[in-house]
Amino acid sequence: MMITCQNCQHKEISGAIYCSKCGAQLIDAHVSTHKIRTAETRREVERSTIQLQPPPSPPLQSWISLHIIESGQILPLTDRTEFTLGRSVEGQPIVPDVDLSPHNAYANGVSRLHAAIKLVKNQAVIIDLGSSNGTYLNGVRLSPHIETLVAHGDLIYLGKLKMQVLIN
Amino acid sequence: MTEKQDLYALLGLTRNASPEEIRRAHFEAARRLHPDTNRAPGETELFLDVQEAYETLSNPQKRTKYDASLPPEKALGTLLDQKILFSRQSLLRSDEPQVIYVMMELAAPVGLKTRPAPPLNLCLVLDRSTSMQGSNMDVVKATAVQIMRQLKSQDVFSVVAFSDRAEIIVPATHSTELGKQEARIQMLQPSGGTEIFSGLELGYNEIVRNVNRSQVNHIILLTDGRTYGDESKCISLAQQASKQGIGISGLGIGSEWNDNFLDELASLTGGSSMYIPRPQDIQHALLDKFNQLGKAYAEETRLEFESSEGVELRYAFRLQPEAGLLSFESPVMLGPVIWDNSLKVLMEFVVHPEAVQRTTATLLNGKVSITLTDQLPPLKSIPIQLVRLVLDETNAEPPPVEIVHALSRLKLYRLQEQARLEVTAGDYEQAAEHLSRLATHLLAQGERGLAKTVLMEAENIHQRKSFSQQGGKEIKYGTRALLKSGQSAEE
Repeated sequence: MMITCQNCQHKEISGAIYCSKCGAQLIDAHVSTHKIRTAETRREVERSTIQLQPPPSPPLQSWISLHIIESGQILPLTDRTEFTLGRSVEGQPIVPDVDLSPHNAYANGVSRLHAAIKLVKNQAVIIDLGSSNGTYLNGVRLSPHIETLVAHGDLIYLGKLKMQVLIN
Repeated sequence: MTEKQDLYALLGLTRNASPEEIRRAHFEAARRLHPDTNRAPGETELFLDVQEAYETLSNPQKRTKYDASLPPEKALGTLLDQKILFSRQSLLRSDEPQVIYVMMELAAPVGLKTRPAPPLNLCLVLDRSTSMQGSNMDVVKATAVQIMRQLKSQDVFSVVAFSDRAEIIVPATHSTELGKQEARIQMLQPSGGTEIFSGLELGYNEIVRNVNRSQVNHIILLTDGRTYGDESKCISLAQQASKQGIGISGLGIGSEWNDNFLDELASLTGGSSMYIPRPQDIQHALLDKFNQLGKAYAEETRLEFESSEGVELRYAFRLQPEAGLLSFESPVMLGPVIWDNSLKVLMEFVVHPEAVQRTTATLLNGKVSITLTDQLPPLKSIPIQLVRLVLDETNAEPPPVEIVHALSRLKLYRLQEQARLEVTAGDYEQAAEHLSRLATHLLAQGERGLAKTVLMEAENIHQRKSFSQQGGKEIKYGTRALLKSGQSAEE
């Protein structure tokens, strides 16, 4: 059973960890996601019933935006109806549509492919993609791979990374 | 029963040694320790012990009786702390080859009190060819003198200088008697070409006069040039030295020297190789090497094994204390174990279908022999066996983080290694491509300087069909140095 490198299509024999041709990592993306303790996340989630400011109005050209609470930054998601959220890693062929690395994703326990946001029948849904540290919607942990509706102002946790959904 | 009285340890054997192995070990020990030829005090007594040990172990009845009296075998633990990690918990029964990585870590036992530095038997073999003229020669001389002053009373020291021919500058002398030898070093004048063998041979002769397994025997070769035609003679000498427990480390100054050659000398003997780009780095590198020798807990470790059918050791690399490529064939000279940093080796095995027919597969069956600097010879050895279960389905457990991290660094070194092989084979396209991949990884890890050098070399290969002397070395030793930082760049 040969392994095919997703990055350069080079074939490696089973058991290889890095592609000998391009150096990309060949094993499961979750191996080195920073583990955070579940209890820690729970506590954070519980504490997060903090009063949020009324959400800032989203930029017009995008149907949905993410408001990163910690930095106050707003990430507009444009031009598409489906986005993957995660953290890019050097040498990895998997690059999420929304790369959260600049937002301290690693320390917050965000997986490389953590979750996806989609527009389904004109409604926004979120899907956890089997992440290591889980996706929480308004304090409730989502079952992986199941679509859940999100509404304007909802609070999402990817691991410990907090963000608010702004829907246009 | 104390360890010194263990008859097997005395002969450097494990308890499952065959009669033939016992006979051979006795013969070797007896020859070395015979009162007519031995050198160090205490060796005659040891010779008698060895005779006695042989008498017991060569007689099946006596041996059985003796074995029964032995306490249960202590693992390597009493001599060395060991840790072995596998990239996979099991192998797959498959009709295609598969690969498995093994990380072996050896360290001085935790809780053992650091003992005083071992006695050194050190020879500096210095290049005095014309090209060394100027600051190179000045720094080398000054550093040699500095080392001489730092020697301890039990150390033996010698200096050999070579160009077209070699000359003993300081004959092997006990440090207490070195006296006025400093002046002889100061008077060194550069002239002539570079013929490494003549220097190495003289240096070897000086070391051999005092060679003794209970000390650190080491040759430090310092050169800035390429030797022509005598490489193979040097290699045979290194093999000879390695058998006698003499390590060779090569320090190359500037860009003209033959790095593959010095790397090979080092890997054959358990020594290390170093790239010294500028004259001002000579002192630091040389003193570093000297200090490293003084920190040895085990002067030498050696992995001997029989290859199992269908299993191939495809790659072996020492990650620390000093990074370097190792031999892929038994015996693998692993180098010294120092007090403050473990010896870490990464091995890559390819397992072919014929090896996974049964319920378990043996990757390697052999022993690690170690020479402890504070104990009398002979070698002590610890059996080592790497075995994995063979299952019908893939084990989904991810490989240990340590292995993934080490490989994430090692892959950079191996990318440049591949590019080198491709240049040699005339496949310039591939080489340039590998280099540009390497540059991408380096950039992503913030190694901008090195990445730039790599890209320039890729360009060079397109135009001139070869690496530049300097760029090639910078990339090789630059990526190797990244291993030292130990941390993975991926996260």
